Amino acid sequence: MSLMVAPDNTPVWVNENRCKACDICVSVCPAGVLAMRPEAKSTLGAMIEIVALEDCIGCMECELTCPDFAIYVADKKEFKFAKLTDQAKARAKAIADNKYRVLGA
Amino acid sequence: MNNREIISTGNDLSAIAAVDAGCMFFGGYPITPSSEVMHTISDLLPEVGGACIQMEDEIGGVAAAIGASMSGVRSMTATSGPGISLKAENLGLAQMAEVPLVVVNVMRGGPSTGLPTRVSQGDVAQAKNPSHGDYKSITLCAGNLAECYTETVRAFNLADRFMQPVFVLLDETIGHMHGKAMIPTEEEVKAGIKLRKTFDGPAEEYHPYGVEQDEAAVLNPMFQGYRYHFTGLHHDRNGFPTEEIETCRKLIERLFHKVEAHQDEIDSYEEYMMDDAEIMIIAYGSVSLAAKEAIRHLRKDGIKAGLFRPITLWPSPVSAIRKYTDKISKVLCVELNIGQYRDEIQRASGRLDIEGLFKVNGRPLSPYEIVNKVKEL
Amino acid sequence: MAFNYDKYLRLEKMPTLWCWGCGDGVILKAFIRAVDELGWSKDDVCVVSGIGCSGRFSSYVDFNTVHTTHGRTIAFATGIKLANPSKHVVCVAGDGDALAIGGNHTIHGCRRNIDINFILINNFIYGLTNSQTSPTTPQGMWTVSQQAGNIDPTFDACKLAIAAGASFVGRETVNDPRKLEKLFIKGFEHKGFSFLEALSNCHINLGRKNKMASAMDNLAWIDSITASKAKYEKMDEDEKLNIFPTGILYHNEKAAEYCDMYEEVKKVHQGKRKTITQNDFEKKI
Repeated sequence: MSLMVAPDNTPVWVNENRCKACDICVSVCPAGVLAMRPEAKSTLGAMIEIVALEDCIGCMECELTCPDFAIYVADKKEFKFAKLTDQAKARAKAIADNKYRVLGA
Repeated sequence: MNNREIISTGNDLSAIAAVDAGCMFFGGYPITPSSEVMHTISDLLPEVGGACIQMEDEIGGVAAAIGASMSGVRSMTATSGPGISLKAENLGLAQMAEVPLVVVNVMRGGPSTGLPTRVSQGDVAQAKNPSHGDYKSITLCAGNLAECYTETVRAFNLADRFMQPVFVLLDETIGHMHGKAMIPTEEEVKAGIKLRKTFDGPAEEYHPYGVEQDEAAVLNPMFQGYRYHFTGLHHDRNGFPTEEIETCRKLIERLFHKVEAHQDEIDSYEEYMMDDAEIMIIAYGSVSLAAKEAIRHLRKDGIKAGLFRPITLWPSPVSAIRKYTDKISKVLCVELNIGQYRDEIQRASGRLDIEGLFKVNGRPLSPYEIVNKVKEL
Repeated sequence: MAFNYDKYLRLEKMPTLWCWGCGDGVILKAFIRAVDELGWSKDDVCVVSGIGCSGRFSSYVDFNTVHTTHGRTIAFATGIKLANPSKHVVCVAGDGDALAIGGNHTIHGCRRNIDINFILINNFIYGLTNSQTSPTTPQGMWTVSQQAGNIDPTFDACKLAIAAGASFVGRETVNDPRKLEKLFIKGFEHKGFSFLEALSNCHINLGRKNKMASAMDNLAWIDSITASKAKYEKMDEDEKLNIFPTGILYHNEKAAEYCDMYEEVKKVHQGKRKTITQNDFEKKI
């Protein structure tokens, strides 16, 4: 399956065809990498989006808690992930406070 | 044929037959008057490498047996009427998912707990439709000791041929009758075993339920590289749940049609002194033994009675029944229930004047009761 | 590369029929990862499910799969396992399926200690049929069948399994999929009945009327009613009353497994050993 192969230089990626917009991945991401964007065509009016790719720390929480096989994290052996920064933590909190929606949207 | 002499009971003979027919699994629960089937098969199966398990309830008994059969082994359960009531839902699953299974039902008095140690034929209508929904039951009824053996063997082959549960009805009299029976040799039975069809092509071309409208599903054993799905839901050609209109219609119609289209392979009956009969007695199970005795007495008195004994009760052997009911005016149905099969004879013959002699007090019908009834006609 | 779930999924069945955020998917994922970790061949595995949302579990995975009647998973699985002792049999059932209508089979599966891996998905409610009380619905919660508030006392499923004789009993939650996966691996490796309870969320049919309408709120509630076994054991009795311990709660590697014992029955009947007597068992009553 092509989806299983990590896109070049990508720590985390999503399959929008499978996402049901439950917000769980956003809620568990410690680094504010993920957020929901408004998406009229989605059943719940939202769709997962990667908003800060470079800040992914590879903790796997989003992948493991996604009930719908919609999100994947690269293998630790193949990708050098970022360290968790205060800025990333602050963004994660801001996104959570914004009901998991993309900031500024 | 019939070249082995054995002294046994009806219940034991059905257990022996199962093992001779290649049954390797039995799941059951104790219930009078069928328990001896489980007692005997629990002794026989481990010897041949099979398994017998007494489950926690009737539902578990049939479920374990269906599970084993789903995995690919010949499988059986045995019970009596109340047990069938409890097993009904899972028997429906076996009809829907097309899982072969032999169900020996040693009938006793009912409804409810009824008369556990007494004889009855009260489960005949139940055998036609134990579960909700539309399907075509196959039900065989042993009329003597030898048939407890031969009909059980036949049930296994029919179950694999049509991929569904097949009932073998015994009644308490036959089940507990102890006597001599002439039965086929084990070798003969083994040579006659016809196992379920299997598919041996590439897995991606395998569609277990994707068969012609008059065919049974082709269900490969588990664990052999053909991974598919069993469900009690309406399902598509690979066994997966679907609500697609045409697929649903075709599935249920096929469950009916696969049996209807091949009824000649299922029909079975005995005609006793029917050649010149002016009175047709219809009886099955242990009652047929009394009926034969009655006919011999009646003939001595110059009354030309004959017996038509359906061995396959469901689907009923309609054309054989009509052959006689079309020309014989006096037809008497003798049963240990209140006309459960007479209803079917009326349907099959298109006649509403079928006479009945019924008994529901847990006692067998005597030949004299039948003689007296015939003389009243 | 990322973990290849698709290898085990029936892709044409994706997306699942489960609601957004449903814990069933997290459990399915942990199950797949556990099977992969153990290196089981897909042909050697049979997954048996019952009725309810969890009933769909079996149709999504590319093994030999059986969707049975309500509550009967263990009974079907017992037949499959006893007829094929060398294969892996996994049951998946919900709290209604396993503890209400199928309670009898659950008890006796545990008692026999047959080598079935039993995953109980406990979401505290009948989800599929719209919020009726289950044997694990907490007292005082709203259900559609008890709109004045549920008065029915609840089961502790793991305590029940231990009392009934299961030789491996553990509990984790969908809040920690890694621990769930580890529990599955340990349970699957264990020979004997493995009772694996996964506490799961149903924010749709439990949560909506009980002040936890989002997956996250429901998950936070599950977090609040669970603690690791180590923490739990340090609690006083009052605290323990409202906490489910997680982790491996019971593990008896010595308990005889049913299929193994049945092999002895075969030996007796095949004249290879003497009849089984009480002397064969440590426990005499």
